[in-house]
Amino acid sequence: MADTAGAGETGSGAPAQVLSGVRVLDLSRWVAGEYATKLFADFGADVVKVEKPGEGSLTRRWGPFPDDRPDPERSALFLHLNTNKRSVALDLHDPADRELLLGLVRDAHAVVESFRPGHLERLGLGPDVLRAVNPRLVLTRISAFGQTGPRRDHEASGLVLQAAGGPMHATGQAERAPLRKPALLEHYTVGRSAGQATLAAVLGARRTGRGATIDVSGQEVLLAGADRRASYLLSASYSGITAPRGARSPHRHGATFTGPFRAADGFVMVYVTNQAFWNRFVHLVGAEDPAFRERFLDRQTVAGEDREEFLAHVAGWIAARPKVAVMEAAEAARIPVTAYLSVSEVLTHPHFRERGAFVAADHPRAGRLEYAGPPWRMDRGYALRTPAPLLDQHGADVRAEAAGPTATEPTEPTQEVPA
Amino acid sequence: MSPREDLPLSGIRVVDLTVVWSGPGATALLGDLGAEVIRVEGNDRLSRQVSAKVTKASFEKTGYHGGTYPDKDPGARPYDRSALFNWHARNKLSACMNLDTPEGHRAFLELVRVSDVLVENNSNGVLEKLGLGHERLLEVNPRLVVVRMPPLGMTGPMSDYLGYGPNFNSLVGIAAMDGYEGEDPDSAGENYHMDEAAPAGVGFAVLAALWDRETTGRGGLVEFAQAENVMAEVGELFLDHQLNHRDPPVLGNADPWAVQDVVRVAGEDRWVAVTVRDDRDWRALCAVPGLDEDPRLPGPDADGDLRRSRSADIRAALADWCADREADDMVATLQGAGVPAAEVVSEPQLLTDAHLEARGWWRERSHPAIGTHRYPGHPWRSDDLDLAFGRPVPGFGEDNEHVYLTVLGWSREEYDDLVARGLVTDHQLA
Repeated sequence: MADTAGAGETGSGAPAQVLSGVRVLDLSRWVAGEYATKLFADFGADVVKVEKPGEGSLTRRWGPFPDDRPDPERSALFLHLNTNKRSVALDLHDPADRELLLGLVRDAHAVVESFRPGHLERLGLGPDVLRAVNPRLVLTRISAFGQTGPRRDHEASGLVLQAAGGPMHATGQAERAPLRKPALLEHYTVGRSAGQATLAAVLGARRTGRGATIDVSGQEVLLAGADRRASYLLSASYSGITAPRGARSPHRHGATFTGPFRAADGFVMVYVTNQAFWNRFVHLVGAEDPAFRERFLDRQTVAGEDREEFLAHVAGWIAARPKVAVMEAAEAARIPVTAYLSVSEVLTHPHFRERGAFVAADHPRAGRLEYAGPPWRMDRGYALRTPAPLLDQHGADVRAEAAGPTATEPTEPTQEVPA
Repeated sequence: MSPREDLPLSGIRVVDLTVVWSGPGATALLGDLGAEVIRVEGNDRLSRQVSAKVTKASFEKTGYHGGTYPDKDPGARPYDRSALFNWHARNKLSACMNLDTPEGHRAFLELVRVSDVLVENNSNGVLEKLGLGHERLLEVNPRLVVVRMPPLGMTGPMSDYLGYGPNFNSLVGIAAMDGYEGEDPDSAGENYHMDEAAPAGVGFAVLAALWDRETTGRGGLVEFAQAENVMAEVGELFLDHQLNHRDPPVLGNADPWAVQDVVRVAGEDRWVAVTVRDDRDWRALCAVPGLDEDPRLPGPDADGDLRRSRSADIRAALADWCADREADDMVATLQGAGVPAAEVVSEPQLLTDAHLEARGWWRERSHPAIGTHRYPGHPWRSDDLDLAFGRPVPGFGEDNEHVYLTVLGWSREEYDDLVARGLVTDHQLA
C-alpha cells in the first residue's frame, strides 16, 4: 500500500486518474523505455511490464543496491522506474509465450520497446504482426540512432549518446575533454520524449481509429532538445559557428556574469544576465565598499584587469558566507543566485517537504522508501498506487487476461466522474 | 499557414505565452502534432529575448560573436533572426497583443474563450497582476487546459526565487554531481538540463489533460513545477541516499559500473567517447589490434570489479591507442567489434552528418526575414504521422490579421483602429 499525492485512496477502488483505462505493454529493459511507461503508469494507465524469465529488466541489475549487494528486487533504479506497473515473465523465444503476448497486444493502446533495431522482427513480433492483431496499436520503438540509416546498428551507452546528440562538444573546459552530464539524465530525456510521442499517437488513434509505429532515435531526441544545443545547431546553420567550450553564457552579451562559486560550506550558482541584475549584484557584494560600487555600477562588460579584480572580490565575498545565506541575501535583493543542494539536502528541504514532492510506499523487499513524486500537478493526476512489482508478481493474472476472451478493441475510460 | 487536419492535435488551438526555452520548447511539440499555436507577443516586450535595437555595432561594443544570427548580422528585424528563438518557432503564429492595455486584455480573453490550451512560463504572479490568473481564465473557458510552469511551483517557501535553468539544476541535486571526476562541481559549460526536461513533460501533461477532457468535458490547471519534473531524473539517487546514506560523487565522464572515457584523437579538438558496458564489450576491446598486446589491460577474462579497479590503466591505454588515430576510423573499428563509441561532434559536423542526412532529419526552410537555412528537425518520427514542419518562424506580428479578423472575428474597422493607434504592429518596438 502506498500514500498518494494529494487526496484519494489506494489499491483497488482507487479514484480515477487521467489515464485510467489506458493499457500499455512495456517490453523495454532499460531507462528510456521504463521512464516512458512510468509516466503512463503514474498517471493511471495499466502498464504491464513484460520481463525476461529468471532475469527481468536490466535495471534490476544496475542498482544502486542496499550496501551495494546486488539484488534484483532491491535495485533503486528499478524501484524508481517501475512504480504502479505490473510484471509478467514471458519468454519471447517461446511460441506459447509469444501467443500470450499477442493476446495482451490485442487489448493494448500501446507497446513500448527498446530492443536493438530488427530484434522484434527476428522474434516474429515486428510492427506488421503486432498491428495486424490490433490496428489501433501504437508501437513505440526506442533505439540509439533510429530504425534506419547507416548508424542504425551502432552500439551506444549514455556517454556515446551524449557525444552523438547532446551538447557535450560545448560543455566542459576549453583545454580539457568535453564533459558529459552526470547520472543517467540523457536516458530520461529520451524516455520522456518517447512517452510524449506515445501518448500523442494514442490520442490520434482515438480520433482516427488508426495506430502508428514510432521511431525514437535517442540521438535525434537530444539534438532536438532545449538544452541550448539545438539553438547552437541553428546558429551553426545560420553563421557556421562552433559553440565554444569553456565559455560561460557565450550566447549572451552585455552585462553578463554567470558561474559557480565556492561558498563557506559548498557552492552557489550565480546567474547575472542583464543590467538590472548586474547593478543589484554590485550593490550586494559591494555593500561595504563604495569605491567598488563606484567602479562597477552600470558597466556593460568587464574585461582584463577589471574582470580579474571584480571576480576576486565576488569570490572572496561568497567564500566568506554559507551557501544558503548567500542565496537568501541574493534572493532578498532579487538576483538569481542559488545554492548547490546535495541529493540528501533536497530530500529534507522544507520547500520540497511542504509541497509533498516525495511520496512514501512500502515494498515487500526494499521496505518503506520515499520516491520522487508528481512531476506536475493536475486534477486526477499522479498517484503512487503500488510500488514496483516483484519479477512475475502478476504473472498468473496477466496470463489469464491474455488467454481470456478479448474485447475487439481497447475500451475507453468510462468511470463515473466525481462531481 | 493552412491548418493540418490529419494529426493528433488538429483542431486544437494553443495560446502561447512562453518565454526563453522551456516553455517555447513545449509549445513547439504541440505544434508538431498539428495544434494551431498562437504566440501572443507584446510589442513593448522582449518575449523573444531579442531587442529591436540590436545592431552589428552593439555586438562590437560588447564583444559578442553574433553567431546566433544569419551571417552574424542581426539585420533590420533582429527579433525575427535569432537562433535562440527560431529553433523552437516552427509552425507557430505570432499576434501582437499588449496585455497591459484594455484592448489587449479584451482580445486576450476572447482568444482564451476560443482556445483549448494555454501555456505560460512567466514568474509567479505575472498573470495575476494583469488580472489574467488561471482562475479567471477557467471562468472564461472551463474547457481550457492551463499550463503554468513556475520552476519551483506555485507554493512553498522557495516558490518566488528567481533563476534560470542552471540555478534550478543546483537546487535539485544535479549541479552538485556535475563536473570533472574527483574535482569540485563545475556545471559543464552551461547546463540547462531543467529546460531540456520540461518540453516533453508539458507535452505529455497537455495530452493527458486533453485525453481526460474527452471524458470529463473539463479542462483545468496543470501546475508544472519544472524542478520537480526534473527531480524524477535523479529518482534512483534519492532512493540510494535512503538505502546507503550517501550523496553521489562527481564522476565526470566516468561511470559507477562501466569503464568509459572521452579520449582525444587526431585533429584539432577532436574527441571520441567509448564505453565498455559488460564482459562482452570487454572481450571485444581486448581483441582490438593494438590494444590486444597492451600490458596495462587486465586480460579478456577480467570481471567488472577487476576492470573498475584498473580503470585508470585501461583508460590510459585507450588514450594512447587513440591519440593519433582519426575519429571515423577509430569509431568504425570499435563499433565493428560491437563496442559503443562515437565522436563528440560539433554543430557544423552535424550539418553534414551522413546518418542524419540519410534519415532526412534537417529541414530546409525559407522565410523573408531570414532567407533559406536548414533547421533542426523533430525529436521523433512516424511513417503514420506526418508531423508538421511548415513555416520555420513567424515574423513578429505576421499573423495579426488572421488572429484578429478570423480567429477573434473582429471587424476590419476595429482592427485598423488598433493598428492606427500603434497597439497592434508587425514589428517589435522594444
